[in-house]
Amino acid sequence: MKKPKTYVGIDNEINGGMTTIGKIIRDAWVFNLLDESETCAGWNLSGIDNLLQKVNDEWDKYGCLVSHLPPELRQRHNKIHNVAIIKAKSAGWSGNVETDDEDE
Amino acid sequence: MAKVYDAGVKDYRETYWMPDYTPKETDILACFKVTPQDGVPREEVAAAVAAESSTGTWTTVWTDLLTDLDHYKGRCYAIEDVPGDDTCFYAFIAYPIDLFEEGSVVNIMTSLVGNVFGFKALRALRLEDIRFPIAYVMTCNGPPQGIQLERDILNKYGRPLLGCTIKPKLGLSAKNYGRACYEGLRGGLDFTKDDENVNSQPFMRWRARFDFVMEAIHKAEAETGERKGHYLNVTAATSDEMMKRAEYAKEIGAPIIMHDYITGGWSANTQLAKWCQDNGMLLHIHRAMHAVLDRNPHHGIHFRVLTKILRLSGGDHLHSGTVVGKLEGDREATLGWIDIMRDSFIKEDRSRGIFFDQDWGAMPGVMPVASGGIHVWHMPALVNIFGDDSCLQFGGGTLGHPWGNAAGAAANRVAVEACVEARNMGRELEKEGKDILQSAAKHSPELAIAMETWKEIKFEFDTVDKIDAAHK
Repeated sequence: MKKPKTYVGIDNEINGGMTTIGKIIRDAWVFNLLDESETCAGWNLSGIDNLLQKVNDEWDKYGCLVSHLPPELRQRHNKIHNVAIIKAKSAGWSGNVETDDEDE
Repeated sequence: MAKVYDAGVKDYRETYWMPDYTPKETDILACFKVTPQDGVPREEVAAAVAAESSTGTWTTVWTDLLTDLDHYKGRCYAIEDVPGDDTCFYAFIAYPIDLFEEGSVVNIMTSLVGNVFGFKALRALRLEDIRFPIAYVMTCNGPPQGIQLERDILNKYGRPLLGCTIKPKLGLSAKNYGRACYEGLRGGLDFTKDDENVNSQPFMRWRARFDFVMEAIHKAEAETGERKGHYLNVTAATSDEMMKRAEYAKEIGAPIIMHDYITGGWSANTQLAKWCQDNGMLLHIHRAMHAVLDRNPHHGIHFRVLTKILRLSGGDHLHSGTVVGKLEGDREATLGWIDIMRDSFIKEDRSRGIFFDQDWGAMPGVMPVASGGIHVWHMPALVNIFGDDSCLQFGGGTLGHPWGNAAGAAANRVAVEACVEARNMGRELEKEGKDILQSAAKHSPELAIAMETWKEIKFEFDTVDKIDAAHK
C-alpha cells in the first residue's frame, strides 16, 4: 500500500485515533490550539510537528500531568479524552494493542 | 541401520572419566545436559565432553611431552539422569582453575562452549550451570557499582526502580525522542531507556540523541527534585567507538549507559564495565540474542550461566524476564537466576535449576530488570516476585496510556508506591492487588485510566524452557 504524504485525519486514524498523533490533536483541542472540528486531515508532518511543539509548551506549564491542570482545563481534558477512549475501544483498540507486540 | 558414531579415535573414558574424583574448592565445575548419538555409551560421551572442553585437543601435539596434561585436564566426576527425559543425561565436569586466564570469562567460555558443541558424538549439548570458585571470582572486576551504590548515587531507597523503553515519537527525530524521555521522567519514572536496536543509525545519530536526552534529564531533575537517568546505548561496531560514546556520555553528565553484552561481546563488555567502575558510571545491560543460546532445552547455554557470566564481566542491571506478562518465563527458574544476580551466596537448589553452591564473596550484585509486555495490573505480582532491588520497565504500559507518556509514568509510579506501602503493612500483594490498586486510583486519575485501559490478563501459553523436573 502506498504511504500517504499527508495525514489522514484523526477521524480516519487506525486504532480509532488512539495513536501518537491522535493524542497530540486531542491535547491541542484541550488547550484551544485547534478548534475541535479540526481533524488535521491533509496536514504534512511538519505541520503536525509544529503542533506538537505548541502542545508541549502548554503541557510544560502544568508539569505534563492532568492532575496538575486547573479545574476547568481538567474537566475539558477529561471530556475530550473520555469520548476518544470510548471511540477507540469501539474500534477495537485496548491497552493490549500497546503491550502485545512488545519485546524487552 | 542407523549410523553409529564413535566418540573419538581413543577411549576418552580412560583419561577423563573419573567417578572417584572429589572436586577441589578451587575447581571450576560445570553441569552439561548431554544428548548423545545413538549407541555411544554415557561414560564415553561425558568423558569426551570433558576432554574436548579442556585438554582434548592438546593430546596429539608434541607439547604432550612438555605439558602436565594430568594437571590441566577436565574430569567428568558424575553422571545423573535428567528427570523425565531419557534422551539425555547430566554430566558434571571439574576443571582446574589453572586451565584459565584470571578475570576472563571469554577464556573460560571459549573452552567450555567452544569446539565441544560441534562434536559428532553429540546430538545436542547444553551448558546448564557453572560453579565459579571464589578464588576465580576474586580475579574478576564484576558490576561497576552494584545495587547499594546505585541506590546511593540515585538517592532512591525502599522500592523497585521504574523504567520505560522509549519508542520513537513522530518518526525518529532526536528532539522528539528526548521529549518522550522527559515526559516519562517528569511523570515519575526513574529511568528511560534506548531500544536495543538504537545505536547510531542514519535516522538518529548517537550524539544528537545523547544531547537531547540529557536536556530531558536535566529538565526532569530540576522539576521533580529527583535524580533521573536514561540508559544511553553505547553498543557499537567496535570497542573504540563504544568507548568514545561512553566518554561523551560521561562528559555531558549522564549517570548511566547501556550495552548489549551478548551481541556486543564479552571482551567489550568487560572493558566497558571496568571503565564504568573507574568513572563512577552505572551500566545497564541488555541481553539481545540470549534466546538463541538459552531457549532450546537440549542445546545451548542456560540463562543462569549467562547471568553468572555477566556478573563476572560486569553490569549493574540485567534483563531477567518478567515471570508474569506476555514474555512469561518459568517462575522458579527465574527466581533462581534473580538470586544469582543479587545474592552473595546461593545454595544448590534443583527446584530452581541451581546445580551448585555459588559464593560471590564481596562482589556487588546486579539489579534484575523486568521488562516487556507488562502493565499496571502486573504491578502487585512484580513487586512481590522481584522485591525492592529491581527495575520494573513498562514500555507499552507507559507510552500506551491514552492520556500520554507522563500520565502512563504517573500511573505506574502511584501503583508501585501503593504496592510497596501495602506490602510494608503486611498485606498480601498477589491476593489483594486489585483492592490495593483501586484504592490508590481514587487519588490518581492517571492510574484510574490505566486500570481501565489494561485489564487483568492471564497468559495461557506454556513456557518452552522449564525446570527439568517439571517435564515429567
